[in-house]
Amino acid sequence: MKFKLNIVFLRSGTYLDLVLLIFFVIVSWYFMRKAVRGEKLPKLRHIPAIEAITEGVGRSVETQKPVHFEMGVSGGQLYSTLVSMTLASLTMLRHIAKLCAKYGARLIVHLPYQAESIPLIEATVREGYKEEGKSELFRLDDLRYYGQGSLTWDQGVTASFSQDGVGLNLAVGIFYSDVTIPLEMAKIKGGMVIGGTGRWIMVYAFAMMCDYVFLGEEIYAAGAIVSENPLMLSGIIVEEWGKFFVLVFLAIGFILAAIGLNVGKLFAL
Amino acid sequence: MSFFRYQLPTIIVTTCGIIMLLAFFTPFDIFTTIKANLTQWMVVIASTSIWLGFLYMCNAQYHMLKRNPTRSQKILFVTPFAFFLLFFIVGISFPKDTNSPQYLWLFNNIYSQVSMTITGVMFFTLSSAAYRTFRASSIDSLALILGGLIYTLRLIPMFPYFIPWLVPVGEWLLLVPNVGGGRGAVIAAALAAMAVGLRTLWGREVVLKEG
Repeated sequence: MKFKLNIVFLRSGTYLDLVLLIFFVIVSWYFMRKAVRGEKLPKLRHIPAIEAITEGVGRSVETQKPVHFEMGVSGGQLYSTLVSMTLASLTMLRHIAKLCAKYGARLIVHLPYQAESIPLIEATVREGYKEEGKSELFRLDDLRYYGQGSLTWDQGVTASFSQDGVGLNLAVGIFYSDVTIPLEMAKIKGGMVIGGTGRWIMVYAFAMMCDYVFLGEEIYAAGAIVSENPLMLSGIIVEEWGKFFVLVFLAIGFILAAIGLNVGKLFAL
Repeated sequence: MSFFRYQLPTIIVTTCGIIMLLAFFTPFDIFTTIKANLTQWMVVIASTSIWLGFLYMCNAQYHMLKRNPTRSQKILFVTPFAFFLLFFIVGISFPKDTNSPQYLWLFNNIYSQVSMTITGVMFFTLSSAAYRTFRASSIDSLALILGGLIYTLRLIPMFPYFIPWLVPVGEWLLLVPNVGGGRGAVIAAALAAMAVGLRTLWGREVVLKEG
């Protein structure tokens, strides 16, 4: 059986993508409107790693060691398909900057090699300090840049762990195989390690090396929870609706395949 | 002021985002051309901003030296700049620039060697983390150990010879729970990314606003 659909103003092979996008736009609009009106949104489940961040900052203050934050050597991507992870890690950076300002811990941020993201990162840290009314605690020299490539980045981060010490190492963002060195070195230097990435292939490293881990999509949920902003929380509910949508498609595909239709061709419209 | 700081960037982001979507969904060449032009801007911004990173690096190094003006810190301060200058001067001084034999010698004998050493360190960090992870402290870690053992031992010829079921069980672990779990996680992360993307297009992304 052949499926052929031709719409002049649409590229063939993108019809289902468009259906998904329209669905997302409608659901996002609905929940954002609810959030703006101040209506009650469903409660999100508890993520242990979020509370562990506060505990880690407290531990850093007690031991007089700094808090380290890294979003990955390639974590400053502003124009790739991974940009959403950059935004999630910036939300987390703002949260940790606020906590450090509140409790008086020193925050060292290891910058990604994409230098175009530095102004955004600097502004995020400044905002965090400003929100707590302690702008004077911000130190520009605690934003560390190491150039391009994991070679220099790994060396720079681990050298900072050795020189300054580690109370808490928070690693949230876009990570590749080079992340294993800083995560394990922070552990060896006696720091508490919390982290996560949306890149599923690297979640194993975080599961092995972190005390608390954000599993895949949890970085987005954690970002929304720590922001305490209804608009951000509404995004997580939109994502849940997307999951229902995918589940419905899976069920339809299962039934169609069971009655002998070529589901692959149908869904490739 | 807030128009230039917030509304104008939001308008630019939304316009560019819509153009990208139109280039993906519609067959019209004009959107593909605009998308290509916009993408070129990214390269320009990325290559010019590298100097910004250099300034940050210098600033951090300078403050570290100021706080700790010891001899070893002075050496640490000077060494990266010396190597930077060495690579920079050699890179522009010989014909063929970075493809000159002189530059390639530096690259292959210094940069690549240090890079490989770092990769070697990665192996040790993974080993020590694996030792900590593969301790049967809970049911979850016990399941991880069993799965990992079956998966690993099936690749060593001696074990499938004596325990033939290791191969089908290992393959099943690899192709069924592993692929299923991985796909679920990838779909969930992609949906979350879409939600963030739409929020950004609407100018509602909190992280991009001032507090």
